[in-house]
Amino acid sequence: METYLWITSVWGVYLTAIVFFGGMGWRIYEWSTTPKSAVRLGMFPKPKSGAGRFAKLLGDTFIAPQSAKIEPTMWTFAFAFHLAALGAFVGHGRLIKEFPVLPEMLGEAGMNTFAAWTGSIAGIVMLAGVLFWIARRTYGPFKNLSVPEDYLLLFLLLGVVVMGDHMRFVYGGTIHAGVYRDWFMSVLTFKPAFPSELLSSNVSVSLGTHMLFADLFLMYFPFSKLVHSIGAFSSNLVRSSE
Amino acid sequence: MDSQQLTTLTGVIDKKMNRQLKQYMDICARCAICKDACHQYVGTGDFKYLPARRAELIRQIYKKYFTKSGEFVPALYEARDPDDNLLDELYDSAYACTGCRRCMYYCPFSIDTAWILSVAKAILIAAGRGNEMLGQLADAAIFKGDNAEMFNDVMISGFEDIQEEVREITGNPNSRIPVNKEGADILYVALAGAHTIRPAAVIFEEAGENWTISMFEAANYGFFYGDTDKARLITKRYIDEAKRLGVKEIVVPECGHAYRVAEMFYEAWSKEPMPFKISHILEKVDEYIKSGRITVEKGLIEGKVTYHDPCQIGRNGGIFEQPRDIVKAVTDDFVDLIPNRQEQWCCGGGGGIVAMDEFKETRLASGSKKVEQLRASGASVLACPCENCRLQIEELNEMHGLGLQVWQVIDLVVAAMPLKGKKPVHV
Repeated sequence: METYLWITSVWGVYLTAIVFFGGMGWRIYEWSTTPKSAVRLGMFPKPKSGAGRFAKLLGDTFIAPQSAKIEPTMWTFAFAFHLAALGAFVGHGRLIKEFPVLPEMLGEAGMNTFAAWTGSIAGIVMLAGVLFWIARRTYGPFKNLSVPEDYLLLFLLLGVVVMGDHMRFVYGGTIHAGVYRDWFMSVLTFKPAFPSELLSSNVSVSLGTHMLFADLFLMYFPFSKLVHSIGAFSSNLVRSSE
Repeated sequence: MDSQQLTTLTGVIDKKMNRQLKQYMDICARCAICKDACHQYVGTGDFKYLPARRAELIRQIYKKYFTKSGEFVPALYEARDPDDNLLDELYDSAYACTGCRRCMYYCPFSIDTAWILSVAKAILIAAGRGNEMLGQLADAAIFKGDNAEMFNDVMISGFEDIQEEVREITGNPNSRIPVNKEGADILYVALAGAHTIRPAAVIFEEAGENWTISMFEAANYGFFYGDTDKARLITKRYIDEAKRLGVKEIVVPECGHAYRVAEMFYEAWSKEPMPFKISHILEKVDEYIKSGRITVEKGLIEGKVTYHDPCQIGRNGGIFEQPRDIVKAVTDDFVDLIPNRQEQWCCGGGGGIVAMDEFKETRLASGSKKVEQLRASGASVLACPCENCRLQIEELNEMHGLGLQVWQVIDLVVAAMPLKGKKPVHV
């Protein structure tokens, strides 16, 4: 098991970091060095001021009100998923440093309970979102439009979420953030090691598998349609451009 | 597919590549939110008209020849060569698209499918598969530009005939259609056909405008065809004419794409700044009414009036309120279509599709949403700028027995003007 953890949760993390940041950097470089369209591609109505256009860009990108209007079910699941993913991302910040203020207010046990609740909600919402997307791609025009990339990404995402939820719901009461922090900080400081609590618990299987899916997902990220996470800002800005 | 043709077709994408196209290729999530935005997909239920599918055809080539991941694992993206099967599907997808950009409006990433399909048309043209009818119409317009003197007498004689009609309408024997007038403030570029000249001439004359008429028409089949060089040459005909005459402003007719071509595209195509102000005729008419240069009376138009936003004027041109203000100036009985303005349904007649008989069935089926809107409005008169929209809606009107009178906005204006001469009759 320790070898599996070393592959997925140490060397895999380093490789993923190189591929992910390198890939995203390359993607941004490619976009930024390709000339802009000479033709004006904006549409109306559009704000007249730069600040207005910036505000519209943020609204279009983070809320997508037009999409909400035309397909509210899809929008609801997508919005909830992205919000939950953001929550999960912020929550994973505890792997680096314990949150300020909250632990003092809630106490250690209270903080763990708070993390359990918020993490559980985020995990369930993300799972629901992924299952909705998978189901949606199994019929009609959605199925016809889908290509293997779509299913691969959903499969990897499902793996990340299910294993994350497994860690949360099965081991959440016994292994807390501090243990994972010891492992993660050791990786970040290039002195990788696994705490004995991890190695002696079956959670190591879940962690290793969660990390396996996360590694694969993030390594493929820059070469997939998921670059909409950064490209949407630029393409939505064009909508309001002169 | 031989390697030379492959190089040619992929070379088209390379030549057309810019940041926006690259991002559109890279970021589409294939979420298909666009499906319910497209009047053609909604009206026909045909998968090939789903906007994301149309774009996907170009993406399949892009992935294979412009990305490493697609080159190594083409199956992951269903990446493929631009072979005959793909080109066949591309033809239907690209030339049937009316370029309304309603899909872009609803897309969470604002992907401009119409822009992607302009690349598709360029590929089809390079493969010798461009739409013949549109190509011929574009070539005819360019030929006219190259041999303008050959058409002068016919054009001038036609303008004189229309001038007589204008005089009858205004009751003013001095009303004119000025031709080749140097130092005019405005060059009005009409469409082929007296119906876009006569009411405009009445309005310009009554407003006391210093104007002249163009010897060329504003319609641009090069744009519909998908050949930017042809489209530029067709537009250049009246740009050069405007320079020669020294006008200050070019006014285009109600036609939707003519406005967008002149205002949005020509500078990029010609790589030179536009030396004139470009106005849509409804902007001018609205100005004339609001400044009191022309007078219109309410009560002369019978029935409930509604207004259709042509996509190239509204969502893609930004002209929403001026036509409404004009219509509201001639009637108190105005009702808007729902949805309207930027959310307005495309009528299904844009993008040159009315000139392509092979898409007639698709075109008429794609008007189903417009028919629903018009029925729900309870209107008996439709104010409808844009020639293509009118042709389509008139056909839908007859097919579905809507009982609508479909008017150009400028015809409504002339009908509401207290003129001394004979009232124009709506046909």
